[in-house]
Amino acid sequence: MENSTNLPAQAPGPEKEPYVIEMRNITKEFPGIIANDNITLQLRRGEIHALLGENGAGKSTLMSVLFGLYQPEKGEIYKDGKKVTINNPNDANALGIGMVHQHFKLVDVFSVLDNIILGIEPNTLGFLRKKDARKRVLELSENYGLNVDPDALVEDITVGMQQRTEILKMLYRNNEILIFDEPTAVLTPQEITELMHIMKGLAAEGKSILFISHKLNEIMEVADRCTVLRKGKYIGTVDIADVTKEDLSAMMVGRNVKFAVDKDDAKPGKVMLDVEHLSVKSRIHKKNAVNDVSLQVRAGEIVCIAGIDGNGQSEFVAALTGLEKAEPGSKIVLDGEDVTRKSIRYKNTHGMSHIPEDRHKHGLVLDYTLQENIVLQRYFEKEFQTGGFIRFDKVREYAELLIEKFDVRSGQGALTPARSMSGGNQQKAIIARELDREHKLLVAVQPTRGLDVGAIEFIHEQIVTSRDSGSAVLLISLELDEVMNLSDRILVMYDGEIVGEFDPKKTTVEELGLYMAGAKRQDRQEGGGDNA
Amino acid sequence: MRNQASETKKVPFFRKPAVQSIVASLICVLGGLLVGFIVLLLMAVFSKDIPVSEAFRGILIVLSGPIAAGNPKDVLFTCGNMLFTATPLIMTGLSVALAFKTGLFNIGAPGQYLMGAMGSLLVALSIPQGTMPAALIWILAFLAGTLLGVLWGAIPGFFKAKFNVNEVIVCILTNWIAANVVSWVFYANQEKFVNIAETKTNFIKKTISNGVSTATFGLDKLFANSYLDVSIVIVCVIAVLLYVMLNKTTFGYELRACGYNRNAAKYAGMNEKRNILLSMAIAGGLAGCGAALWCLNGQQDFKWNTYQSLPNVGFNGIPAALLASNNPIGVIFSAIFLRYIDTGGSYLPGETSFNEYVSQLIIAVIIYFAGFSKFIKDYLKKKQMKKETAATIAGDFVKNPERPIGQTASEQSAAPPPEAPAPAGPGSGEETAETASAADVPAEGKDGDGQ
Repeated sequence: MENSTNLPAQAPGPEKEPYVIEMRNITKEFPGIIANDNITLQLRRGEIHALLGENGAGKSTLMSVLFGLYQPEKGEIYKDGKKVTINNPNDANALGIGMVHQHFKLVDVFSVLDNIILGIEPNTLGFLRKKDARKRVLELSENYGLNVDPDALVEDITVGMQQRTEILKMLYRNNEILIFDEPTAVLTPQEITELMHIMKGLAAEGKSILFISHKLNEIMEVADRCTVLRKGKYIGTVDIADVTKEDLSAMMVGRNVKFAVDKDDAKPGKVMLDVEHLSVKSRIHKKNAVNDVSLQVRAGEIVCIAGIDGNGQSEFVAALTGLEKAEPGSKIVLDGEDVTRKSIRYKNTHGMSHIPEDRHKHGLVLDYTLQENIVLQRYFEKEFQTGGFIRFDKVREYAELLIEKFDVRSGQGALTPARSMSGGNQQKAIIARELDREHKLLVAVQPTRGLDVGAIEFIHEQIVTSRDSGSAVLLISLELDEVMNLSDRILVMYDGEIVGEFDPKKTTVEELGLYMAGAKRQDRQEGGGDNA
Repeated sequence: MRNQASETKKVPFFRKPAVQSIVASLICVLGGLLVGFIVLLLMAVFSKDIPVSEAFRGILIVLSGPIAAGNPKDVLFTCGNMLFTATPLIMTGLSVALAFKTGLFNIGAPGQYLMGAMGSLLVALSIPQGTMPAALIWILAFLAGTLLGVLWGAIPGFFKAKFNVNEVIVCILTNWIAANVVSWVFYANQEKFVNIAETKTNFIKKTISNGVSTATFGLDKLFANSYLDVSIVIVCVIAVLLYVMLNKTTFGYELRACGYNRNAAKYAGMNEKRNILLSMAIAGGLAGCGAALWCLNGQQDFKWNTYQSLPNVGFNGIPAALLASNNPIGVIFSAIFLRYIDTGGSYLPGETSFNEYVSQLIIAVIIYFAGFSKFIKDYLKKKQMKKETAATIAGDFVKNPERPIGQTASEQSAAPPPEAPAPAGPGSGEETAETASAADVPAEGKDGDGQ
């Protein structure tokens, strides 16, 4: 399936109609590298066209060119057969090109509605007329099942809802070419299904969708055609009907990828984490975000909390790790020691590793170098300081060791500012840091969010290795594939409570989905522990 | 083992953050001078009495700083005083810079400065001469001033850490509280402290009247009997220590982490609240210390009736810090530079038809531009970052042209060769092979040898 040569620009399809967007032979160079090397992308009206490639394959660069953020060195862009120049995002908007960015462009302290109308506020003589806009937003929200509260502040809503706000923003602007930059990275299975419906609906209405993704299942499900990039080069464009998932992954990665995680059966040892009656207050509503949750994780097993985004998983982890306060009556026992009231530092140094949900907010100090980030929880240890002075040589040495061991790639090695690293490598750096630290319990929250298959495979292997070396793993994931593949025991969280416990070998995605949506619930014994 | 260091790219000179900071500061300064010059020019153009050439002369005088004094002896004298008056400015600049590094805006330096002045003066003038060595009185007074500064900085720090009250608001409040406390304390003890003997009733007695003054080690003589004393050296040492503290110690690492990303600092188990409090306390201490050094010079008149005004030297710490991009060592230069322009400006009324307020205006404009210096720097950085991010992402495959993530050697040999011919990467084929095999280590390590 290796489609090795640079295909010449495909002859226009059987339809007479010109492509809605055609990017011909785009070459974009950055000092020293060619990010896009002679890439051609042709988007038909009303199709869902997937753009597939690993992190760093040049997808984002290509879209930035289309969106006017970069000017290509070579190549042309045609809209409806006419040559256009796109110098900035305003030009792109004027051409009806809208984009949902991977990192949302929302004003945190504004309401959802304010964010949607931002830039095109309906007004009379400068006075806002939000009523009409509100009505329209509610309509759109309802039509597409986006379920967004227009009056909620963006900072208060979940990542999933923020994403939907972005989608609404684009719909509100009547854009006809819609770019989705990895839109499902943050959505739940049900939401993804809904989004797929929405996308199909939009395409049926004649909108053309560019769907950037590296999730093969979704592409297989929703896309009509798929263009594959690898390492800045054009690999090919295929009709989805003609190919299999394996074909696509081979095109993307250049080799065959294992989808299932290789692991032996868990050999659960003693209880490493025992959570009893943990409750956390919600910041948004009056109810508890986490309500009386009890669970246990044993050494040598991976327990996964599955659930739809916003059902209390984030708050649960925050309370567990100490970022937020738990309500009185909660009890957290780590390896036999009650750590409920202990500081984050204490938990860090007594065997708790934490891969945080938001790598930019919590995981990294972006203005620090990679090596400074590598020792974020260890800088005070004897190994890295003498008399209060950081031993930068040791830090460097250690960072380089981890860079080597975990294959973290960056421009300037240990001295690269974390901000200038790609998302996948930032995540690898965090994982390197957390896994290399001595730990009895690993709390991993969406450890593979937004990463490509190669990196996911690697991270999954690392987590299994950690389990096999005797640590307990608590995995919080929104992706059912990951849940089913990786875990030894599955707990489903709904509305702040654990509503079911499953053995991944005996359950199905559909069954989990029912529990995640709150349609079913098990009577579960307090304390967890035994498999259902 | 692959040598990571050899891979580390050399950063081009103009891309270095330090160089960018300096460039940004220079742009500010040039902008300020340019605007100042335009103002002078406009004044000359619109005034019948001032020839246009006067504007050129004016800006030259401002630019020449103490050199405008004329004969060498006066120049030396003026230089000495310029350095002396820069001393407290460096300290308030350090105070503001340190707080900025921790993500806090210490606009309370004037209040901390006033409290520091009060503390040092009270001690220096209260302990009768002869009861203990003057040097000891000096040290006690110095400590008193610094400690009061610490206290005054800790107040906004406490409120920020404990109740998340914006430090700017509390700083402004503490500024005026300090202004009134100082007036009140000295008003209540006028006979003891106010300089009635020299009929300067607006001023506190000079500390030399109690035999207390900072050692000069001949610096005053060196600069033609100016006020200069050893405090300028002390201040430079403090700046260097601060630089070391911020960049080399675990404490500084924590402070900066808190400043850059409070959430990540918390996540990492740092006590971010304690760090906020400490940072503000130290910042206050620096400002207080600057005041103490100025007062304890011995020859200075401290105007005690402060309840209606705050000392400029406190506020000027902000541009000094901004102009130096919050680099403690840079603050030394930026503060001296600000004083340099001010000194030049003070010669305007004597030498030209302009008054000295023009120099104040030029400084004000530079200060405005200093506000932009972060903006300019960010702009330079962003421009470069954009390129670098893309370069890094794309650079991944330049470094390892052969090897997809996580691939093992055995897999690689089994897999059909990728489209690019093997030695297509940078450098020789040998290098490529080495890179590929070295990079495979992690994958092999965990999969076990020879699958």
